[in-house]
Amino acid sequence: MNTLLFLEKGIWLGCAAIGFAVLFNVPRRTLGTIFVIAALGGLLKIGLLQQGAVAALATLAGAALIGLLSVLAAHQRKAPPMIFAIPAVIPMIPGFFAYQAMVGMIELTVEKDPVIYSKIFFATVNNGLSAFFVMLALSVGVAIPMLISRKQTIKRLQPDENLEVEME
Amino acid sequence: MPTSHRSDYDELGELLLDIGVMLMVSGANTERIKITVERIANAFACVPDLLITNHALMLTLTYPDSNKVFTSVKWMPGMHLNFNLISDISTMSWQIVLEKWSVARIAEELKMLNRKPLYPRYLVLLLVALAGASFCRLFGGNLTEMLAVFVASFCGLYVRQEAIKLKFNFYVSIFFAAATAALVAGVYFHFHPDEVYSHAFSTSVLFLIPGVPMIHAISDLMDGHTLNGIVRGVNVMIMAFAIALGLTVALVAYKF
Repeated sequence: MNTLLFLEKGIWLGCAAIGFAVLFNVPRRTLGTIFVIAALGGLLKIGLLQQGAVAALATLAGAALIGLLSVLAAHQRKAPPMIFAIPAVIPMIPGFFAYQAMVGMIELTVEKDPVIYSKIFFATVNNGLSAFFVMLALSVGVAIPMLISRKQTIKRLQPDENLEVEME
Repeated sequence: MPTSHRSDYDELGELLLDIGVMLMVSGANTERIKITVERIANAFACVPDLLITNHALMLTLTYPDSNKVFTSVKWMPGMHLNFNLISDISTMSWQIVLEKWSVARIAEELKMLNRKPLYPRYLVLLLVALAGASFCRLFGGNLTEMLAVFVASFCGLYVRQEAIKLKFNFYVSIFFAAATAALVAGVYFHFHPDEVYSHAFSTSVLFLIPGVPMIHAISDLMDGHTLNGIVRGVNVMIMAFAIALGLTVALVAYKF
């Protein structure tokens, strides 16, 4: 039953990514790949969280997997890696942390009791920093595999008689 | 025929500016614009010097005889994300290098790419609404909450599209969309106070998150385009603020 619930999350991760992919007008042939990449990356993150990993580190691992798979998919499906990577990481956005941080800030502006104030302040800063670091981990995780793979492309940019068609 | 060559190069300069602007508007990062423009210019044995900002593109093209240059600035129109165009231009840039296309052929191809149909509007609305519902499920919502988010995302995106058509300020459009989505998501929970509203409420605006500028902000900073990275980062913060403001309207309206 637990595995089934886990796999169900993969479907929702994929659906969320497809929604954004369509919003960004990705080529139609890449939609299926985006679904799979988003599901795998998101499931890695959720799996690590269940093992007790810190949210930012779990996100970093999930996003890095997405970045890596995007670089591989780019060669297969003939489109730049960012086209796969950006819609696929969006389901990992820390929406709930960000929401709670925002609501906390609104509460802080009206709260007068110092004891309750410090409690809300603690929760708000905690949520806000979590949201910030998870978002940072998302961007960095996606960027790392692309930065590493870009070295190869620069090599191919130099004048070469046998230059082959290669998407970067 | 040195004269005809000259005019050919001038057209190449205009074309490269067009390509750069199209890439930026469609949501490419700074490094990609630089690489693509360089690749095409090098195919004509020209050396490009590019200044890329979020609002304008400046290009100086040094011709092979290096005694005449082309310089021009082009302003960017508003953002309109289109990853399909980025992918097509990337493919085209390699074909230009390999098959030695003429300037006229590139211009023709570019016109054709720009006219390629996008997804139908209602399909986009439905799939984005489904994405919203998926978010809700991922954050622990049940079927009712998912349904509320589905309707809310649909209405929110519709309002944003209409607001942009009516030429409202970009951030104001986001604020309208966030407020609409949150208000729609909150209706059901306003009349059923015993149910948990926070899942539906917090995920109803997630379709507005500026994911593309957020990731490009970091990738631009890592590529050394510090100024562009900072501009994108600040842009993300203003958009997040607009979303928060929209949510606040609904929070106050329903006294959650």
